Amino acid sequence: MNPIQETLEELRRVAGVKGCMVVTNDGLVVAQSLGPRYREDIVAGLSSYLAMSTNKALEEGGLSGFESFTLHAAHGKSVLWSIGEAILIVLMDQFAEVESARRDIQAAAQRLRRTARIS
Amino acid sequence: MNLIQRLKIWKELRRLEARVREEPSPGTFVDLGQVFINLDMAERALQAADDGLLLFPDSTELKKLRTFARRAVDRVRIDELRERIAKNPNGKLYSELAAVQSEAGDQGAVHATCEEWSVRFPHDAGPWMWLGQSHLQAFYRSIAARDGGDAVQCLERAIGLEPKNIRARILLAELFYRIGSTQRARTLLDAVPREGDDGDLQNLRRQVSAARPLGSDVDSLLRAAEDNGMLPNAPPTAAVPVHGDEGIASIRDALAAIAEMEGVEKAAYIRGTRALVKGDIKDGKDPFLRTVRVVAKAGHRFSRRLDIGSFKRGVVQGPFGVLCICCYGEVLAAVQCEASAPTERILAELQEVVASSLYAMGVQQ
Repeated sequence: MNPIQETLEELRRVAGVKGCMVVTNDGLVVAQSLGPRYREDIVAGLSSYLAMSTNKALEEGGLSGFESFTLHAAHGKSVLWSIGEAILIVLMDQFAEVESARRDIQAAAQRLRRTARIS
Repeated sequence: MNLIQRLKIWKELRRLEARVREEPSPGTFVDLGQVFINLDMAERALQAADDGLLLFPDSTELKKLRTFARRAVDRVRIDELRERIAKNPNGKLYSELAAVQSEAGDQGAVHATCEEWSVRFPHDAGPWMWLGQSHLQAFYRSIAARDGGDAVQCLERAIGLEPKNIRARILLAELFYRIGSTQRARTLLDAVPREGDDGDLQNLRRQVSAARPLGSDVDSLLRAAEDNGMLPNAPPTAAVPVHGDEGIASIRDALAAIAEMEGVEKAAYIRGTRALVKGDIKDGKDPFLRTVRVVAKAGHRFSRRLDIGSFKRGVVQGPFGVLCICCYGEVLAAVQCEASAPTERILAELQEVVASSLYAMGVQQ
């Protein structure tokens, strides 16, 4: 198992995390640990769309790109974490404590960033 | 259209869909909608227009696209209903057809449908209800005695065919009350059981019992209204406790309080095309408003398509600090603050602003 996949598998074990994935900014899947509930092409496309639209809107407003985007919806939560040329997406259930999982997500993002730099 | 042309259009469609995502502008949404229309996908065109209007609510071309697509969707629905009526005519299908035609604003078509419906089903009160409502609408708009007389005739016929038709009784009672025939209005309302009274009906009953009777000859009362160019009695007023101005004032105060919280730089409340701003924002043209609108819209789309319900809250962090967004439907409250600001408290306050504004608007959550 490569280090990126290993990091994702580890992150998946955090309480409330239903799946996670790394995609490039333009939506290509780098690695994923999603399980059967989600389709990787859909999650990748939507995450890339959300990240690109958000960054574009921020730039137009005179702000720089985002580092993290935490989204709460009626039946689930998601966290998008920028790792340079790619994004780490973490999908969580609606009862998950995002704040308590945040440290694990941040650590995973840092590890992924380092791995990407080495490779 | 041959296969090659169709393939070319599909290719163009994919390109435009990508463009809408990458460079959203009224033009790109209109181009996408146009391709959907060429492919006879009116509902997708309507969706494209609606998506575009969320980002660019003032765009005239997007509004035109929406009207055009809406008409196309209605046309498809009307053709479908006509086909089903030809095969198996029944009152429910005629009612659906009249509803679509009425929504499309084609009163002539509503009348034609009702005429056909009443000939085929002479004991059905439905066509007379639709005709009554159509004449009533015209009467309240133009105060022409003829429309009023037609409305009375149709609604009375609907009641004759279906004596338990409460809606027809209420509409007729309101018309009688508005023209000053309060005794007839009271008689009609007395026949409506009080158990099911909603706020509107309670107001109507209250105003009817307080109004001064002006006569009982409906024809002369209608003519008098036409001659005067106005109706003697005002419409029943809704008993909503919170007035628009008071609601706005409370939102403004709450927003001002948020803007004064530690680390908060900008605060905005957006509802449709209107916005209230506080903090370091000059006016409604500040790019912050567009930024939070687009982020919320993207969040909505992401959540819905991922099947996790509607987007409620978002926290975007970056070198600029933090953006906190709370929304419900078309109402949105957002803040830009420093990274050290208490985001959980700010989000709770924003949620409060959104919830109280929905209450002020009378929207049930």
